[in-house]
Amino acid sequence: MNKFAIVGDSTCDLPAELRQKYDIDYARMMVAWTDKDKKFHEMYADLDWKEISPKQYYDIMRDGIRIITAQVTEQEFDSVFKSHLEKGEDLLYVACSSGLSASVKLAQRLAKEKYSKEFPERKIVIVDSLISCMGQGSMLIRASMLRSEGKTIEETASELESTKLCYNQLATVESLEYLKRAGRVKASTAFFGNIFGVKPILVSDRVGMNHAVEKAKGRRNSLIRLSQMVKETVEKPELQTCYILHADAKQEDIDLLVSKIKEAVPTFKEYKVLPLGPIIGASTGPGTFGVYYYGKEVLVEAE
Amino acid sequence: MILKKLNGKQFTELITNGALNLRANYEEVDNLNVFPVPDGDTGTNMCRTIEGGVNAISKLDTESIGEVAKELSKGTLMSARGNSGVILSQIFRGICKGLLDKETVDATQLAEAYKLGVKQAYNSVVTPVEGTILTVFREATEYACKNIKKTSTINEFYELHLKQALKTLKNTKELLPVLKEADVIDSGGCGYVYIVKGIVKFLDGEKIEATLSQENEKEGSAPAMDFSAFGADDILKFGYCTEFILRLQNSKVDVKNFDVQTIIDVLNDEEISGDSIVVLKDEDVVKVHVHTKQPGIVLTKMREYGEFLTIKIENMSLQHNETMSEEERETKKKREHKKYALVAVAQGKGIIEQFKAFGVDVIVSGNQTMNPSTEDFIKAFNELDAENIIVFPNNKNIIMAAEQAKKLYKGAKVVVIPCVSIPQCYSALTMLDFSSDDLQIIVGNFKEAIHNVVSAEITTAIRSTKVQGINIIKGQHIGIINGKMALATSYKNRVVVDLLKKIPDIEEKEVLTLIYGDGITEEEKIKNVEAVQKKFPFLEIGAIDGGQNVYKYLIAVE
Repeated sequence: MNKFAIVGDSTCDLPAELRQKYDIDYARMMVAWTDKDKKFHEMYADLDWKEISPKQYYDIMRDGIRIITAQVTEQEFDSVFKSHLEKGEDLLYVACSSGLSASVKLAQRLAKEKYSKEFPERKIVIVDSLISCMGQGSMLIRASMLRSEGKTIEETASELESTKLCYNQLATVESLEYLKRAGRVKASTAFFGNIFGVKPILVSDRVGMNHAVEKAKGRRNSLIRLSQMVKETVEKPELQTCYILHADAKQEDIDLLVSKIKEAVPTFKEYKVLPLGPIIGASTGPGTFGVYYYGKEVLVEAE
Repeated sequence: MILKKLNGKQFTELITNGALNLRANYEEVDNLNVFPVPDGDTGTNMCRTIEGGVNAISKLDTESIGEVAKELSKGTLMSARGNSGVILSQIFRGICKGLLDKETVDATQLAEAYKLGVKQAYNSVVTPVEGTILTVFREATEYACKNIKKTSTINEFYELHLKQALKTLKNTKELLPVLKEADVIDSGGCGYVYIVKGIVKFLDGEKIEATLSQENEKEGSAPAMDFSAFGADDILKFGYCTEFILRLQNSKVDVKNFDVQTIIDVLNDEEISGDSIVVLKDEDVVKVHVHTKQPGIVLTKMREYGEFLTIKIENMSLQHNETMSEEERETKKKREHKKYALVAVAQGKGIIEQFKAFGVDVIVSGNQTMNPSTEDFIKAFNELDAENIIVFPNNKNIIMAAEQAKKLYKGAKVVVIPCVSIPQCYSALTMLDFSSDDLQIIVGNFKEAIHNVVSAEITTAIRSTKVQGINIIKGQHIGIINGKMALATSYKNRVVVDLLKKIPDIEEKEVLTLIYGDGITEEEKIKNVEAVQKKFPFLEIGAIDGGQNVYKYLIAVE
């Protein structure tokens, strides 16, 4: 049987429209924060922004409140994975980078210790995407296309494994504060020092960590440099969509980035602007941009 | 309470108190996640993890430790979050495996269960990293297992476990380079230590404060202290900072005529040999501050005069530790071999601190009115062991000396960056990036940064004159842009914005750095920043307390 389920998680940033089109399910992570009145809020990191809009969400961070995130829980994996396994479907989980979340490790353990015993007939294949957001999302879409072509779950996973370092990310943040607070970027203290005005350009490196490879002075410069870097690393743009994700960024910044990317690489099949999901957004902060496309293999690796 | 054996009820209480203690301290653990440690929210995550376990066992009505273990294991596994939380849950899972099917355990059996915890925790991680909660738990367990005897109590087991846990926690900094660089201990290990401390406190009969009050104190809580600065084997070097308020009692002394000299004499006697003594009396209240190795004797003796209203005693090694290690690091850094080393000329405490934070290895003291000599540079170069030395002067008059030193010095390749102002120097340093590992590219980045910055300076005119078309009256604020006189004004609260207006391409700029000099009032700072924000809303403004003399403001516009 060829039909198998394809599952991502809260960092894959696939909106309902794309999940439906490509028949992709996802397991949810959690976000939580304590508001100014000391009230504790906790909710699933929902990719359809049903409970809270991106603006409301990022405004919480703008108010100086720290949003904390938690990996997919065992219960959530139980509920999502089992819903497919019980239907007799095999399951391909393309997970958020192990450099960013422990979800993939938990899934691997559960698959080995739990699901393999409860569903001995079923196959569960887990791919550590080593990226997040639409990098991971694009891998999920690719998996779905391969499934439609009649590829088996093993063939699909194997293609993803051999090409995953070609899913490129170029990201930049509006303020370094959030990254520093969340402690989720790989770079030496000297690289950043204690500086404002400096915008890092982050790639997802070979071990799936966000790695600051360059810095630019000022927002505008960072967006221009980012666009040039897309040009330097993209391959066959005419065959793919360029995904431009933003964490409730200013419209003028979005327009600038899109126009600069179009200027640098005019031949993408499509330029699609989407909101950046709540999990990655919680560590990078409002105003973050992430650009995702297929290109040259990533060579950067954390020391 | 002394426990020979541990039953289910008692085990529940131990774990609950471990959780309570972590909850009372989780924010400190969260704060250990100092950039660039990619390990966010450890305290919160571990707390939520163990709480899940406590919730699962708190309502059980059983004396059997096996029954409790079963539920605890399940509870923590289900609530595990974050890396450290997941490892913690695996620790419990292993321990609980060793407790299953038992009604009670003695210390030896408990130790065996803990060994299973180590095994389980290490197996759960694909690549175990030493210097984390794993090491803290493993070494603490190994130590306790090795040192308990057949006759040991549960209390002894946990005391041994805690003793080593504290020691290993302190050592995590040595095991993980990321911790060392950020100068913090491992957060997960620290969280685990709080749990064990909670257990030991409970066994010692100490109640742990309810957690809700801790929540409320969130905002104003004191900066976290690094308790690992004083370990189980350390020797008391600095004594205790002891402060208290005493209410003099009529039953003990003549309150009205009591002379505080009596107290000062006591604090000065041989037994206490206090220093930094401050004693203040207001009616019947006496406030005392003293550093001593004998706070106990102080307290006993003071009760001859009155009773305490408040007491605060802190081990000064904890306070001293920070500066000590800073110094040690400094000296070490200088000896360390480097491919690229940085030497910058600076004056002003804040500027020097900022430059060091950027990674400058040696600061040569100096500015426009106090130019460092060639020898000063050579001395600075001699402090380094580097292949390439990059020098940042901050004035035209200083570049010369630096160039001269470059010619004379044979120990390394020296490059002088032509910075002629502190703002230029600052901007160049913000763009520091050694990742290319190519001197030409590195230097090129610096030069580009300097090229892109407009450097402005504000100072006070010491005499009346006319310079470059500007009439200046003595005492006025004068503004200089890229070395050219641009403004003279008497409005101190608008001086920055008025000067910025003189920069022709300001509309294309994005980032403004204000470096405050010595002696600017808060009001001036606020008014100036407000005016700039209003006039140039597109500028991202950052401020540094530079502490330089001469220039009230040094400004970089990029």
